Amino acid sequence: MSEAAVVVDDVSKKFRLYKEKNDSLKTALMRGRRSVHEDFWALRDVSFEVPEGSTFGLVGRNGSGKSTLLKCLAKILYPNSGSITSKGKVASLLEVGSGFHPELSGRENVYLNGSILGMSRKDVARKFDEIVEFSGVRKFIDQPVKNYSSGMYVRLGFSVAINVDPDVLVVDEILAVGDAAFQAKCKEKFAEFRRAGKTVILVTHSMGNIRDMCDHAAWLDNGTLRQVGDAQSVMSAYTADIGKGDR
Amino acid sequence: MTYLSELFASRELFYNLTMRDVKGKYRRTVLGQLWSLINPLATMLVYTLVFSFIFRARPSEGDPSGLDIYPLWLMTGLLPWMFFTRVVNGGMSSVIGNGGLIKKVYFPRMHLPFSVAGSVGYTWAIEMGVLTVALTVFGGMPLIWVPVALVFMVMLALFALGLAMLLAIGNVYFRDLQHFTTIALQMWMYLTPIIYPIHLVEDQAERHGQWILDVYKLNPMERFVSVFRELLYDNRWPDLSDSLVCVAWTVVMFTLGFLVFKRSEKRLAELL
Repeated sequence: MSEAAVVVDDVSKKFRLYKEKNDSLKTALMRGRRSVHEDFWALRDVSFEVPEGSTFGLVGRNGSGKSTLLKCLAKILYPNSGSITSKGKVASLLEVGSGFHPELSGRENVYLNGSILGMSRKDVARKFDEIVEFSGVRKFIDQPVKNYSSGMYVRLGFSVAINVDPDVLVVDEILAVGDAAFQAKCKEKFAEFRRAGKTVILVTHSMGNIRDMCDHAAWLDNGTLRQVGDAQSVMSAYTADIGKGDR
Repeated sequence: MTYLSELFASRELFYNLTMRDVKGKYRRTVLGQLWSLINPLATMLVYTLVFSFIFRARPSEGDPSGLDIYPLWLMTGLLPWMFFTRVVNGGMSSVIGNGGLIKKVYFPRMHLPFSVAGSVGYTWAIEMGVLTVALTVFGGMPLIWVPVALVFMVMLALFALGLAMLLAIGNVYFRDLQHFTTIALQMWMYLTPIIYPIHLVEDQAERHGQWILDVYKLNPMERFVSVFRELLYDNRWPDLSDSLVCVAWTVVMFTLGFLVFKRSEKRLAELL
């Protein structure tokens, strides 16, 4: 196994489930203490390594903690214990087009979104044509994005994000963006990524995607790690488990 | 230190978020950026009519500038105040308003309140520029004091930001805070000598006891307003103790806001 691009070490993440949440002063004052809650462990002692240059799939049922883990990888959430260390720049594609300003033109939004995702102005300028070409909205690039169709909107957002050029790309269930032609382009882009030796971590429910794209996978179940290893064996164990039906 | 360097490294994001607000605000309006001048002008007209013409507030003549024009005197205090309230209100709601972004993308969250100060400051700088021209036209000499005024403008921005960051975090826990703040700011404005001269308060203090003035002067905005008046309207060095109090408030408030925000920043995505 080559060197690890991301090391997830004993990560646990707890959420508080509020029975009665005090988010107004009145309720806080009347109840005296902060609030009544109960802990929920979305992730518990999860450890694995993502080898450099691999495409790593995260699988599991709904609510198994995949997205929480992904958000921890993307530094949006912080684990309560354990640590995540990654080599190089990490970019995340959790939702595309967030941060677009509806009144601004596509062009202005590309620059804005690029900088939110951590690109410098120079980077965006250098890649601008590539971004616009990839999105296929060249004709409308100087129109305000509020006039875009929802497909154009996500395509432009996705094009910006995919051009951030990170060492590790974290992707949530967004391969379902756009029409078939655009999806094919996306897959090609991921393949290009892999050829360049970059690491991709993705969550998907599509077995096909995992089989086509991933070489390694981890299976999460109720916040704990069930199995990690090469994609084939993890997938067959996971499909076998699903076959057993709901417990 | 790493936090600060990360913040500095992503300064382009600050610029872009600022320009998003600046450009987005007046899109699809005929008058565009002119609106940002019409607003204070309208306020000036109303206050001048009510407080100068009807209530007969008489600020003392500018010393040594010799200016005696209520609307200009008013604006040297009102423009900094309006900037202050806009930064506090805007910065406070910037975290909740960008909740979608915070939950989906990692970036230094402090750029959200910072960019509010940036875009509001951009408008404020234009307003102050126009005011400086007007003061010059009517016989004052504010131009040589502009560099000093700029230093105090930056200080007021940091002071307002500190308070805004503090409130922004508080607002995540208690959404009531923003409604409360609106009221508090309104009262605060009338407790600051912006539309009436401070000598009216001094008169009352002489009659009813010195403590009134002492309490009144605890208000940091009173100091800022008088510094701006001394610089731009009177055209002289601001009172040393006023300046020092401004510096102290700026340092304390900004540091406090910065530390509180930095500490809570990592948890924002789950709290929202």
